[in-house]
Amino acid sequence: MSTPIFWILLPLLVAGSGLLLLRYRWLLKWGGSALSLVLALNAAFLPINESFRFLFWDLQISDELLVFGRRFILSESDRPIVIILFALHFFWLLIYNPKDVPSHFVPISLAGIVLILTAYAVDPIFYGALFFAFLALINIVLLSPPGSEPSPGVMRMLIYQILGMLFILFAAWLASWIEYNRGDQLMLSRSLLILALGFSFLLSIFPFFSWIPMVGEKNHPFLTGYLFNSYFLGVFLFGSRFIIEGGWLTSGMNLQTPLQLAGVLMLGLGGLLAVFSTHLGRFTSALVITGIGRSLLAFSLFAAGFPIYFGMVIVQAVALGVWSLALSGLQSGLPDFELESAAGAARQHPIISSGLLIGYFTLAGLPLLAGFPVYMALGTGLQDYFSWINTGLVLGSLGLVVGGIRIFRTMLQDPVNNQALTIGDRFDRGLIIALNILLALLGFLPQLLFRVTRAITDLMIGL
Amino acid sequence: MTVSALFQSLLAGMLFICAGVVLNTSSRRWMIGLLALQYVGVFGLVGVSWPLEIAVVKLVAGWMAAAVLFLTYQNVPAIEDRQRLATGSAGNLFIGFAALLIGLVMYSLIPEALRWFLGATPQQVLGGLWLLGLGLLQLSFTREDIRIVVGLLTVIAGFEILYATLEASVLMTGLLAILNIGLAFLGAYLQLASHLEERL
Repeated sequence: MSTPIFWILLPLLVAGSGLLLLRYRWLLKWGGSALSLVLALNAAFLPINESFRFLFWDLQISDELLVFGRRFILSESDRPIVIILFALHFFWLLIYNPKDVPSHFVPISLAGIVLILTAYAVDPIFYGALFFAFLALINIVLLSPPGSEPSPGVMRMLIYQILGMLFILFAAWLASWIEYNRGDQLMLSRSLLILALGFSFLLSIFPFFSWIPMVGEKNHPFLTGYLFNSYFLGVFLFGSRFIIEGGWLTSGMNLQTPLQLAGVLMLGLGGLLAVFSTHLGRFTSALVITGIGRSLLAFSLFAAGFPIYFGMVIVQAVALGVWSLALSGLQSGLPDFELESAAGAARQHPIISSGLLIGYFTLAGLPLLAGFPVYMALGTGLQDYFSWINTGLVLGSLGLVVGGIRIFRTMLQDPVNNQALTIGDRFDRGLIIALNILLALLGFLPQLLFRVTRAITDLMIGL
Repeated sequence: MTVSALFQSLLAGMLFICAGVVLNTSSRRWMIGLLALQYVGVFGLVGVSWPLEIAVVKLVAGWMAAAVLFLTYQNVPAIEDRQRLATGSAGNLFIGFAALLIGLVMYSLIPEALRWFLGATPQQVLGGLWLLGLGLLQLSFTREDIRIVVGLLTVIAGFEILYATLEASVLMTGLLAILNIGLAFLGAYLQLASHLEERL
């Protein structure tokens, strides 16, 4: 018995079986939530490489699984990653409403989480790129539920992910070349360029970000929110391990400046998108694009940026979750997601609209909400670097705030349709209120958040 | 020129013709048939670097992918080729000319590419680069899902030829084979998805 069997093979089998139960939507929701919770708790408490007694048996769980000569390793230091991934899945399943979202969400999202974990666990790490290609395949199915045509954005996403995989595989081979030819600067710079291209495809860095607004506009808001949240988290985790294990940090190349440049570029693009968007789905994309930019900036700080990054992961999951839940609920009350169609929504559907606004402004970095202290910490961490980096961080957030004010103003206008219509379940409305309170509390008590993220970082780097 | 080199040159030429016609044809039957033929060339060129019993995995996976796409095509109501960028004789001429240009550019890249792929023969590099280039051209000319899937399969096939000259790992071979078949199943699903009943 080994941890990859527990956290990879077993959930993958359950996900496959779940596809046979698509008719039983509530069973899938609660069964999936329970499984994710159990796996997250199991990841927190399961003794690894130590003997322990379970009922009548003496067990020892090893941390690796050998498949065709390659190892899949989930060791003590990977615990936080396993917990984060399954906890994230649990959270999204908890807030998922089977009446609004296609039921294939549960098994496919579980398979997606498992693939991210597999990509993270495989040794040598560059094989992980292939698992991201598999993830792209199932994400396409996730975003194209039965009965709907695949949108152009989804197909573009598929193309970019596959091309990204090919570049990463090739760059990884070049990295092994560098091992034998240390000092070959030309080869090193070429391989780094190819690697950067590969990760630009995977992380949708300019100019490969066009699929994000396309998917945000045309696809289901809840599925889109989940996909953006889980997929980019997965790529960042994979990227961090790839860079550390591949020896790219010790290769003598300056990774910090390109990361910061890309981060500022993404922040600027996200901010601009928020300022000019006229579609609520595109605002999701603006939030996600700036999120990528901030994450790149946090990664550019290396070890010092890890607690900030994990803080952003937690805040982003909750805020994007409440935004997607609210947008998904609002779907039944609006003819479409054009901004002007949402006129008066705050008067007609105050609770759902509050989720939309608080989720949005949290990710924009408005003071007193959960995002602000994390972005503040990021800005403080970046103060020793060039001033254009922090200027970009502020301008990107400012663009989001301007976009948020546009949404707020539109929602407060006189309603287009005065017909009173109650939308959303009581459970959903309760969830939105609870998540709003959580986001506000985290804004007032950021030390709680940072205590958790520091613990995660310490475990990861073995302190 | 040895018999082996001549054989490899023929295979590379066949790959260019197959990928070029796949790009140009409006008949799905021809497109999928030529895709299947393309994998014979891939198998031949990969077989130069790998033992045949491992190289045959590429052929089997490719043919399975083509079979999945063909069976779906037979069971889906006819869809017009309306999403393609250019149709008609002028469009075909343009695409053919673009394919020719890609072919020439890739041919001119061989000396440089041979410095990167040290264990490869010029024909392997040429075959791989042609498939990569024509696959990318296919991806840039269409918004139709089945053609995107065929384009991606072509790009991956080109990459597989080149990568085979660098690494021969069983797990990698297996994963790439699964990816090929997975892409074909995805193509099949996307063809059928709009005809399936929504389960909301």
